[in-house]
Amino acid sequence: MQVSKRFCLKIVSALSILLFLLIWYLTTDVLKTVPPTSLPSPIKVCQTFVEKLHNTAPDGATLGVHILASLQVSLTGFTLGCVIGIPLGIFMAWFHRFDLLTKPVFDFLRTIPPIAFIPIMIILLGIGVLAKASIVFLSAFIPCVINTYTGIKATKPVHIWVAQTFGASRMRTLWKVAVPTALPFIFTGMKVSLNAAWTSLLAAEMLGSSKGLGFMIQMGRLLIRADVVVVGMITIGFIGFILSAILDYLETTFVKGGA
Amino acid sequence: MKKRIDPKRMESIVLGIISFLSLLILWQTAIWITGTTRFPSPTTVIVRFFRALVEPIGPYTVIGHVAWSFSRVFVGYSLAALLGITLGLTMGWFPYVRAAFKPLFDLLRPIAPLAWIPLAILWMGIEEKSKYFLIFVASFVPFTLNAYAGSIKADRQLIGAAKMLGAKNNQLFFKIVVPSSVPQIFSGAQVALSNAWMTMLAAEMIRSSYGIGWVIIAGQQVNDMAQMIASMIAIGIVGFLLATGMRLLERRFLVWNNQGI
Amino acid sequence: MEQSGNLDNSKMSCRNLTKSFPSKKQNFLILDGISFDVRENEFLVLFGPGQCGKTTLLYMLAGIEPPTSGEIRHGGKQVLEPDSSRAVVYQTMALFSWLTVKGNVEFGPKARGVSKERRERDTQHFIDLVGLTGFENSYPIQLSGGMKQRVGIARAYCNNPDVLLMDEPFGHLDAQTRYMMQESLEKIWQNEKRTVVFVTNNIEEAIFLADRIILLSNCPSRICAEYDIALPRPRSVMDPEFLRLRKEITAAMDRVVDKEGGQP
Repeated sequence: MQVSKRFCLKIVSALSILLFLLIWYLTTDVLKTVPPTSLPSPIKVCQTFVEKLHNTAPDGATLGVHILASLQVSLTGFTLGCVIGIPLGIFMAWFHRFDLLTKPVFDFLRTIPPIAFIPIMIILLGIGVLAKASIVFLSAFIPCVINTYTGIKATKPVHIWVAQTFGASRMRTLWKVAVPTALPFIFTGMKVSLNAAWTSLLAAEMLGSSKGLGFMIQMGRLLIRADVVVVGMITIGFIGFILSAILDYLETTFVKGGA
Repeated sequence: MKKRIDPKRMESIVLGIISFLSLLILWQTAIWITGTTRFPSPTTVIVRFFRALVEPIGPYTVIGHVAWSFSRVFVGYSLAALLGITLGLTMGWFPYVRAAFKPLFDLLRPIAPLAWIPLAILWMGIEEKSKYFLIFVASFVPFTLNAYAGSIKADRQLIGAAKMLGAKNNQLFFKIVVPSSVPQIFSGAQVALSNAWMTMLAAEMIRSSYGIGWVIIAGQQVNDMAQMIASMIAIGIVGFLLATGMRLLERRFLVWNNQGI
Repeated sequence: MEQSGNLDNSKMSCRNLTKSFPSKKQNFLILDGISFDVRENEFLVLFGPGQCGKTTLLYMLAGIEPPTSGEIRHGGKQVLEPDSSRAVVYQTMALFSWLTVKGNVEFGPKARGVSKERRERDTQHFIDLVGLTGFENSYPIQLSGGMKQRVGIARAYCNNPDVLLMDEPFGHLDAQTRYMMQESLEKIWQNEKRTVVFVTNNIEEAIFLADRIILLSNCPSRICAEYDIALPRPRSVMDPEFLRLRKEITAAMDRVVDKEGGQP
């Protein structure tokens, strides 16, 4: 009984994905209810995918070059965001005066989505790597700070007292008690950051760039090449998925004792 | 009777004001020292912000643009709430619904909402419809995910308790699973709102002829930094009001989940 | 084995219950050959050392856990699933946190479609009975532990069950509150006689409340002894007879635990 129900559920899952692909195929290639300029058939998408691996048309670079360009910028911005954001979050949460001084400005800044900074950055820094990297940095930086801050503040006073009664200095308490408490929060923050970095990079590439996956799908739209757009979207989804899988793996390795 | 102010509270207020003031002073001195004309001074921006409230930029004043942006967010967001919560809750409780929709959902979920922009424009043009769609996509995912998480981790013991009190299967869903998922759905709603607000901005910046995102791009096209920063401040204020509104709603409706209120 | 098979006043009966949980190497046996009856309107206490499978036994009576072998009957029908004729009071309270005290208490009657007038009357009656008058519109999070469990008891009572099953209902309470709750429960039970099966690992609680105590041994659980407690109610923990019983049962339990401890 139990096994057969599980089997049924698997069948339903498989059918639902097959049905999705079938409907996609039918509406595009067979019945032609949707013009290929707005939705390409799944077969066309596969062809374009293979072709984009070596062909630079229509946007001036192969898929691999776009991927590398996007990864380079997003990972640089993300790393910087973490390297600066996490210590800042720790500082803000641990030193009371510093907290009071910086929190209001920070709270105001974070209500503005980083995407809104793109046009200004483009005016100030041009459409090169620097403008994009600073946008990515900004969007990765904010969740890192917020989550680290929350994590450090989540340290139980009891644990701090225990550390103090054993004669630990304030710095040592921070390092041995508060930071480990905050670690799961920091990882959550990094995951959110990575997601935000990847998203805002896309926006930056769509608004002003000459390379990258965001640029590629934007060109696909302007040239009415829906197949290029869909290939780009799938690649974006896939890379986003891989990146968060890597962070998930790191989290399970580093965060011991559960959240 | 005079209200006494807690010295700790006083300190935080004073330091908060100091931090804002020093930021403005730093900005102003930097402008004076460098003598740049590319970047506006804080006074220019503040004056510009208040002027934009009454003088139209393009077709509307800033308030009108914000209203347009807000209406776009509202339509897409409400639709996403309706469908996402329904899908998430039913996926969590009915194994067959989960089997049918979870794999598809997981397949499409990693695609960032912004990546849908070009396709949405190809499908639906640059009119309102494509923006509703994008905002829908952006908020649908967090709504569904959180409603799903809420319903799948509904406390087995509470379900057992309801069963022994005589609740039927559909009562279990509506009386136990749904209400116990509400806090999780609320946190999903907050993520969804900030996603929707961000996607709206991106969509407006990429293609539109009004809305607060357009105001920024219009400023970029004529190199008017003051206009850009003033509209960013407007965005910040609206974002803050939305988040505060959400928190108030949560406090009002989740009394049973918040201690000490 | 049992002499209590008098069918006239037997509410529930268990015959040769065993329960084992499958693990990698072998089946882990936790209940072995349990047979007993629950009599009409008696207060039956299942008493034994911690981790001896009392809660599992109670969940089996409730129909939440199926027995591995053996049979449980309730009013002549076999117990296969949870039913509104058997109400459970949980150690963890298991209150619906999004409902008020009133909402929790009237949940059962509402789910079963009892008329509004009758429901309102019953709900108020049992809220008053457990001493929560005035707290009808409070949420569980606003109540203390003892008050929460009062809601749990009222909720179980208000469903008008045939049998009340209580799983260490006071296990999470502090000693003072626990003592008060025991007195309250006895009063409530005296006012509204029901058949109760009560699980505990606290000897005083057992003797204070029980008409009859069944002593269970450690893993795997077997029935070691049965005691009829004929002390007049309300009982006093300082009563010499109370103290004698306490000594006797404690000694019996120590023997059980020692024996278990001596085994590899």
